[in-house]
Amino acid sequence: MKKTLELVGQYYLLMKRVFQKPEKWKIFWKQYAVEAEKLILDSIPIVSIISIFIGAVIVIQTANNLESPFIPKMYVGYMARESLVLEFCSTMIALILAGKIGSNIASEIGSMRITEQIDAMEIMGVNSANYLILPKITSATTLSPFLMLESFMVGLLGGALIVIFTGMVTLSQYVDGIQFAFKPFYIYYSMTKTAVFCFIITSISSFYGYHASGGSLGVGRSSTKAIVVSSGLILIFNLIITKIML
Amino acid sequence: MITVKHLYKEFDGKEVLKDISIRYNPGECSLIIGASGSGKTVLLKCLVGLFEPEKGEIWYDDLLFNKLDLNAKKQLRTQVGMLFQGSALFDFATVEENIMFPMDFFTDWSKEQKLDRVNFCLKRVNLENANKKRPSELSGGMQKRVGIARAIALNPKYLFCDEPNSGLDPTTSILIDRLIQEITQEYGITTIVNTHDMNSVMEIGDKVGFIYHGELLWEGSNKDILHSDCKELNGFVFASPMAQQLKSLLRQEKKNPEDQK
Repeated sequence: MKKTLELVGQYYLLMKRVFQKPEKWKIFWKQYAVEAEKLILDSIPIVSIISIFIGAVIVIQTANNLESPFIPKMYVGYMARESLVLEFCSTMIALILAGKIGSNIASEIGSMRITEQIDAMEIMGVNSANYLILPKITSATTLSPFLMLESFMVGLLGGALIVIFTGMVTLSQYVDGIQFAFKPFYIYYSMTKTAVFCFIITSISSFYGYHASGGSLGVGRSSTKAIVVSSGLILIFNLIITKIML
Repeated sequence: MITVKHLYKEFDGKEVLKDISIRYNPGECSLIIGASGSGKTVLLKCLVGLFEPEKGEIWYDDLLFNKLDLNAKKQLRTQVGMLFQGSALFDFATVEENIMFPMDFFTDWSKEQKLDRVNFCLKRVNLENANKKRPSELSGGMQKRVGIARAIALNPKYLFCDEPNSGLDPTTSILIDRLIQEITQEYGITTIVNTHDMNSVMEIGDKVGFIYHGELLWEGSNKDILHSDCKELNGFVFASPMAQQLKSLLRQEKKNPEDQK
């Protein structure tokens, strides 16, 4: 318990240093663009691949389970849309990103810590936490909701492709289902969740990387801890946000 | 000038530095020597503010460094350059970007002015045309030289070098030592070098402080070392049989100057 409180205190102190006015905005925006490419744009292929297959699988499973003739076939599209928007595109994608970008951030910052690159910045008078971490948190938090939207679109496309190729339901039934009882608030809810989850992933991974010690083994340990703790927090905050927003 | 007064540092209740008092003058290469684990790196890290001492004062000219607020410390640090043991060059940047890094943050120079300064610093360390190389493409000696170029990018008043010769061959070590000495004298920098390379001590040690189990046991110039009676210092400096032979030869030479003629 004492250790957990110490960790929370250290995390708070680090975030206090991170969320300070950048030394020069020009440098911040340059880093923001670099991190946006590394954390968000480079994640598009993996998110797309997973989304397209999951969209297709949801459609197959739903179609196979709708055996009653009294349930309209368009419900296949409806179920696919709801599954994707409510849980898959935010929580599942966030868990995947925790592995991909979380380990990337923790190992990158951890390596800089153990090779004294962070010390070098501090001695120059640069706020290393602000320079290294703020662009990562802001770019991932502000741009990840668009990644969620992209995942949603591609997931629906995956469902459409399987409908076309297998003919389980007609394409028009599937499209009718997608449009049926659509609540735009769910998109907003899912985008909010994704932004919060990406804040958790980037800040927690940066925290563990920033406090890495003990050589390359220490970097490996911090990377693993970053993924485990981020994933746990994602699940907890998923519950909290869902309870608050729905 | 940097003045240290009664400095104490401990980790988990264990005293690592005990009552260190020493003065480092501008235009001189001051060396901190001592065995591994003696506390010399801790002393250097206290001096640059990476460690907070438990007790004592660190003065940068007339500024009490360890009592300055964050902004004042930051201001002072723009006058500090440091060469790390592993060079600590930024992997994400080229040589040019590494040297330009402090300029980007603390100057309003144009791109051309920054480039001129980068080229000047690289020329000063004999590394012209390495601008676009990545740190991973450079040898250990070249990385150290880039580290020195980055450290002098903003014309520092104080230069700290943590084991600048570690992992280098003797010839490159001498080149690095001479470079540090030349820069120190040329710009009147207060330079503090942390080393256990005895060649460096003899080559550039205008002032040498010997740390033993966290205490400053001996202080003097490189020439004084040969004639010191400090047992611990002699045990450290003349640890190898070859060094012991050389010392006895030098002492004989001093005792019987006529025989040598």
